[in-house]
Amino acid sequence: MKRALATAIGLGLGVVVALGLLAAVGRTAEPRFPHGAPIGPVMRPDTGAGEMLLLVVGGTYPTQADAEAANAQMPFADLAGYYVVPVDQFLGFRELVGDVGDYALVSAFRTEQGAQDFASFAQSFGYPATILPERVQSLGGVYAGLGQEPNAAGTGPLTHPIAASLP
Amino acid sequence: MVLGSGSPPGVRRAVVGLAALVLVVAPLLLGWHWAKLGWRDKHYNYPGTPTGYTQIVNRFGQPCSADAHAISMSWPAADNGVTYTFSFHKKLGGYPTEMVANKGGLSTNLDNDVYGHIQNKHLSQYTKSGIWGYYCRYIDGTTSWSTHAFGIAVDISASYEPQGQCYSTVNTNFASIFKNHRWRWGLDFCDPMHFQYAYGY
Repeated sequence: MKRALATAIGLGLGVVVALGLLAAVGRTAEPRFPHGAPIGPVMRPDTGAGEMLLLVVGGTYPTQADAEAANAQMPFADLAGYYVVPVDQFLGFRELVGDVGDYALVSAFRTEQGAQDFASFAQSFGYPATILPERVQSLGGVYAGLGQEPNAAGTGPLTHPIAASLP
Repeated sequence: MVLGSGSPPGVRRAVVGLAALVLVVAPLLLGWHWAKLGWRDKHYNYPGTPTGYTQIVNRFGQPCSADAHAISMSWPAADNGVTYTFSFHKKLGGYPTEMVANKGGLSTNLDNDVYGHIQNKHLSQYTKSGIWGYYCRYIDGTTSWSTHAFGIAVDISASYEPQGQCYSTVNTNFASIFKNHRWRWGLDFCDPMHFQYAYGY
């Protein structure tokens, strides 16, 4: 009789403790994010309008659809890769590359180091990456990846023109 | 054999004693084995794992800072023979140990402890091609900084664990090691290649 009573009490206590633990875990568990992880502040797309920029080019294409399709075949894991842009938004692009199409996959930089780092990164995925031999002038337009490189002081991203990028 | 109340007391005592011995001796033997191989798990000076963007910035500084890529390490991939070299934040490694040279880092987290566990538990066969760390870049399709830009994220086996895949084929073999060292596994948000030293972001 005593054993049965002890067993019943033990089971009851066990259930209460288990429910308590479940409630605690349920309350403290991180919420699930059905649309991916939450993201931080949205940075203003920096087009560098009027600046002389360095472009890393992944390819040129006759139409935007072709460029979009090619870009879809070049994922950079979970990171931003190339941007699809009309080539005419950069003065001097056609002169450097030739009349090979109206759209290109590019990423724009203010520093040579930024361009070289991205070119190496793209090549590590096996993707084409050519740094144009001269700077081209941005007329604004579609965002082309500018702002994703460190500043010279090492304190954060480079978010403003530098001497080399001023026309 | 089930040791119920009917088992002789001597047998029960022997089994309990043996279990206690194993619990005490096995970790010591494992530690000795790893030390012989030139590695010890240090757990030295880990920063708290931040939650959310503000805590990330408070703890690790701005994205793309010099600290974010101050330490580098090499990690060979098991499938293609390529040794990937990547950099990461100085608060997550680079402290001198038996295995890691003094790189001016502040802790033993990634390059000694996590990597050492994976090597010494013979799990390196599961770390495959596509291994990256710091990169000053936004999250794909956004203009928000990736945890990679803070040097607090690592992608491993990218060729086998693509973003958007909600299951894991190879990283599942060592993900618990990252998690036991305060990292979050991206499988939680269907990015199984990705490990980050942050929550809520």
